[in-house]
Amino acid sequence: MEFYRPETIEEAVALLARHEGARCIAGGATLVAMMNAGLAEPAALVSLKRVRGLNGIERHEDGSLGIGAMTRHAETARSPLFREGQRVVPEAARRIANPPVRNMGTMGGSVCFADPAADYLPALMAADAVIEAVSPRGHRTIKIDGFITDWYTTALVPDEIVTAITLPPAPARSIGVYEKLDRVTGDFAIVSVALIVEFVRGECRNVRIAVGGCGPAPIRRPEAEQALEGSGLEPAALTEAGRLLVAASDPVDDVRATAEYRRLVLPRMVAKAFARARAQAELAA
Amino acid sequence: MNVVGRSLPRLDAREKVVGAARYIADLTRPGLLFGAALTSPYAHARIKSYDVRPALAVPGVVTVLTGEDVKGGRFGPFIKDETVLATGKVRYVGEPVCIVAAEDERTARRAARLIEVEYEELPAVLSPEEAMAPGAPLVHEANADYFRVHQTKCGGNLAWETSFAEGDVKAAWGQCDVIVEGEFETQAQAHVALEPCGALAEIDAAGRITLWSANQSVFRVQANVCEGLGLPMARLRCLTPRVGGGFGNKMEMHVQGMTVALALASGRPVKFILSREEDFEMVRHRHPYRIRAKTGAKRDGTLVAREVEVVVDCGAYGDDSPGVLGFSLLMSRGPYRIPNMRAHGRLYYTNKVRFGAFRGFGNPQVSFATESQLDEIAERLHMDPLELRRKNAIRKGDAWLGGGLVQSDGFVKCLDAIGRTEAWQKRATQRAAPATRRGLGLACSSHISGLLATGAVIRLLEDGSIVLNTGAVDIGQGSDTVLAQICAEALRLPVEQVVLASPDTDGSPYNWGTTASRVTYMVGRSIVAAAKEVEQKIKDHAAAMLECATEDLALRPGGRVGIEGVPEKELSFREISLRAHWAAGGPIIGSSSLMYDRPTVDPKRTVASGVPFPQIGVFSFAATLCDVEIDEATGKVTVREAWSACDVGKAINPLSVEGQIQGGFAQGLGFALCEELVWDGGKLANPSLMDYKVPTSLEVPLKVHPLIVEDAEPDGPFGAKGIGEIPICAVAPAIANGIAAATGLRLSRLPMTPERVLRGLLEEEETHAD
Amino acid sequence: MSALKLMRLSINGRSRDITVTPQETLLDMLRDRLDLTGSKRGCNQGVCGACTVLIDGEPMRACLSLALDVEGMEVVTVEGLGSGNTLTVLQQAIIEHGAVQCGFCVAGMLITAHALLRDNPHPSPEEVRAALAGNLCRCSGYGKIIEAVCRAAEEKAA
Repeated sequence: MEFYRPETIEEAVALLARHEGARCIAGGATLVAMMNAGLAEPAALVSLKRVRGLNGIERHEDGSLGIGAMTRHAETARSPLFREGQRVVPEAARRIANPPVRNMGTMGGSVCFADPAADYLPALMAADAVIEAVSPRGHRTIKIDGFITDWYTTALVPDEIVTAITLPPAPARSIGVYEKLDRVTGDFAIVSVALIVEFVRGECRNVRIAVGGCGPAPIRRPEAEQALEGSGLEPAALTEAGRLLVAASDPVDDVRATAEYRRLVLPRMVAKAFARARAQAELAA
Repeated sequence: MNVVGRSLPRLDAREKVVGAARYIADLTRPGLLFGAALTSPYAHARIKSYDVRPALAVPGVVTVLTGEDVKGGRFGPFIKDETVLATGKVRYVGEPVCIVAAEDERTARRAARLIEVEYEELPAVLSPEEAMAPGAPLVHEANADYFRVHQTKCGGNLAWETSFAEGDVKAAWGQCDVIVEGEFETQAQAHVALEPCGALAEIDAAGRITLWSANQSVFRVQANVCEGLGLPMARLRCLTPRVGGGFGNKMEMHVQGMTVALALASGRPVKFILSREEDFEMVRHRHPYRIRAKTGAKRDGTLVAREVEVVVDCGAYGDDSPGVLGFSLLMSRGPYRIPNMRAHGRLYYTNKVRFGAFRGFGNPQVSFATESQLDEIAERLHMDPLELRRKNAIRKGDAWLGGGLVQSDGFVKCLDAIGRTEAWQKRATQRAAPATRRGLGLACSSHISGLLATGAVIRLLEDGSIVLNTGAVDIGQGSDTVLAQICAEALRLPVEQVVLASPDTDGSPYNWGTTASRVTYMVGRSIVAAAKEVEQKIKDHAAAMLECATEDLALRPGGRVGIEGVPEKELSFREISLRAHWAAGGPIIGSSSLMYDRPTVDPKRTVASGVPFPQIGVFSFAATLCDVEIDEATGKVTVREAWSACDVGKAINPLSVEGQIQGGFAQGLGFALCEELVWDGGKLANPSLMDYKVPTSLEVPLKVHPLIVEDAEPDGPFGAKGIGEIPICAVAPAIANGIAAATGLRLSRLPMTPERVLRGLLEEEETHAD
Repeated sequence: MSALKLMRLSINGRSRDITVTPQETLLDMLRDRLDLTGSKRGCNQGVCGACTVLIDGEPMRACLSLALDVEGMEVVTVEGLGSGNTLTVLQQAIIEHGAVQCGFCVAGMLITAHALLRDNPHPSPEEVRAALAGNLCRCSGYGKIIEAVCRAAEEKAA
């Protein structure tokens, strides 16, 4: 197995293009675990640790954020640069695995592995993130809601590397909440709900809900968000939103939970996330 | 007392905190090879042929062995039904079929996967229900012919059957004002000791084998390996490095036989360390149980009758299963005076990995049923659950099920300790946080400490210090320190003057094993007896040297002996030992051999059959209280705080006792709420720490209060008895009772996952709505 | 069989030149090539935490770090925490408060706690509890480990 440590992104994508079966290694937390288990035997590895320009979180004047693909979860978790609804992302980061793994794992690595029960994807989806990627053919952007195409599969092509994730500014005064149900702390989610919402005189505005753990990709449904837009979180509105999200879900049975339980608990988790968002809004008021 | 009762730091703590402690995976020998196994992909299949040539062709591979190459006998603690490698057929997914020794671990593993084995798949039985069905495929065709250490009914897939009966249960139901009956189910739980199983074997120039392994008994290793490989026991020397936890997983054979076979065949030392996944798939787990329990009481709360019926999944090989079955039945009456009792159970072979010893040994499973049921009785009678238990509590002088003598009032004292907690006193005013329900749950348990044999040898070195040799393995529970404290106290020495010999089948007297919560009591008793012999010999020398009668002499602190009341007349142990070594008498050695000898069953009061241990006893007690919170949205259960009162007779090292109580609680928490081995057909679906989850520091409550209860056990060393297992036994029912107190919901299946709780809550809501 | 590659990194304050294969993890390298067996292999999947070491000052999993990917960095293992025969305040507290049982988790616990106390000298018990959530212990129930870390923090502050 060859091991490369390129220092520029151009070098990195050229290596991917040249070596069939070459894989990128970002933080390594997922890939090395798979290699240790004999589930991955890459012909070549391209380490991204020394590639310039992949680190750091930057806040732009318009309130948008650029997060380098190699940003560790620990850095994302404690960054003060996420504002308002964008805070759903660091809250998700804080729920990933455990502190030492958060020192290793990266947002780019996590997003590319596309584990449906991982924590970033629903949060990034609620936040309308955009993926920036580079290949030998140049640079392109991919919206998050088209980024996951199937179980553990993204829209990236083999010689493409994610360089950054950008978040648009969140609506003013919006609250971001990440609600996760797991068997024990640090496990993958059974069901997770990422929520961005603004409360104006007790009514919901700019509702964005993304649900994780219930299908190959996080679920976002404009109809569900519409059902709650302008509502004061009345039971009927919550029930309708829940019903629509369950209808759009495609959960499986696995060792963490049954599909039936996931469908049962999904609306309740949505309600829980909203209750917490509202409490935060009331505190802020 | 100077040493006993003090929370001395563990003798091996320092080496562990600086990273110098050597565990099996840390050992190396010149010329070392690494072992790996090819395991069965089928739950049940006939082995038709092997082709090992692809493995032998790999550079770096030295030896490849199949079940045909490893000839020996059948081994097993109760049923001699196992071989070192599968022979003729495979009986579970993960069973070792071939083994390889190579120059490095990666090569060994890669080569093992290249071996071609041809199988003829057979229909498998994957549950006791399937196993007991008429015409079911047989896991062991020779079942009835296997040698069994005790008599029992067996045949087909029935591996063992045990029963106890006292009084007249059938007639007794008529005397009851309330009867509660229910079915319960508990899951397979994995030990997850942080250290996976491993061994290292080396042949010396004389052809003798030295075997290091992570184990709970060097003597069980020796017996198992020699039986499995057909070796005379004198040819095998078994040793122990530091052990990274066992909890029962390392009490019987794991890779030791395979490792020795590879060393013998290759002529070089071989180290074989299991991966975590192999540890899950190959070794052993806690038995899944189905329990039917029925308890009856009078209106005033007097318990009258109980019936417990269990069906136990044995897995593919017997291992400690008969012991677990029998012990769980023996514990199923609980620490209560129930005059009419029937306990009956059957153990069935299935095509799954064997189930074996795991902290509690069947007790946590039956206690889940019986202690949940006791709370149901309390509820029906509108009685306080603590008062119901106190009313029926077993006391000093009472007989255990079978007739064993209870020699302490520790149970009532445990109940008192719980009753005194602020949480219990203020239980009526407990409030739940928004969107949660909250309840306090109590459950109790008992256990034993007296079982099988042990020995102790104490030798006075020339300078008056002591070597203590028992053969007891410290698996992390702290026995080395406790035993040193007992020895030091018995001879009035500072503990620094006592050194423990490492367990060694060549030189250690014998200890059945670190299991059954027995080391403090059995080995401690042995040490006290051996110390008495040493004391007598010291006094004999001193009497001659000081020209007095031995009766006038007394040991003095710090390794001295002198004439009572005459301070100037004294001698040091050193002076005496020098005389013994060079002038008269020979080296001062005290020894003791001990077998626990109180019978399990008094045939005049109890009808019993298939009892796997004719002598067992020394009863201890515990009461566990949990403050339980349930998330109404998800059903997820959290324990906010817990109290665990345990009767230990005498805490030799209180800090160590507390550590055992808290650690046992944490494993009980996992058993109750989140740990479950799941099978997908015949294959384990979650044989990894990614998918099998144990409690982290954020699951175990910050405060698990250990409440040490001391009611001296008459023949325990300084009154002490065991603590290793009892802290796990009542945790699941305490949490179940807390859930019931909070919500009215009674769960009868473990683990009590968010899914099971939420479904139960929603069903309750619907029932009440109707 | 993969080609051996030479690399340089700092281990417990000393610069070392070591040959490794590309698949080798930092844990393999520490244990098998350098006889630094204090870091343990409990799962090789990054879950149990027994392999936790400091890499450039941050607690990370040695079993999930490829040795080559750590080139040029500073690694500290449990063997490098104390100096010579002197135990750190934290190591001493772990011993005194009964926090060591089988000892297999201790190296990882010490590394994680060491970094915690360096970054947060006055942690609350809840903060200690959360910081250790990635280090499994099957023997102790965590209580005495958390207590020992809190007491060590107090002692260092005194």
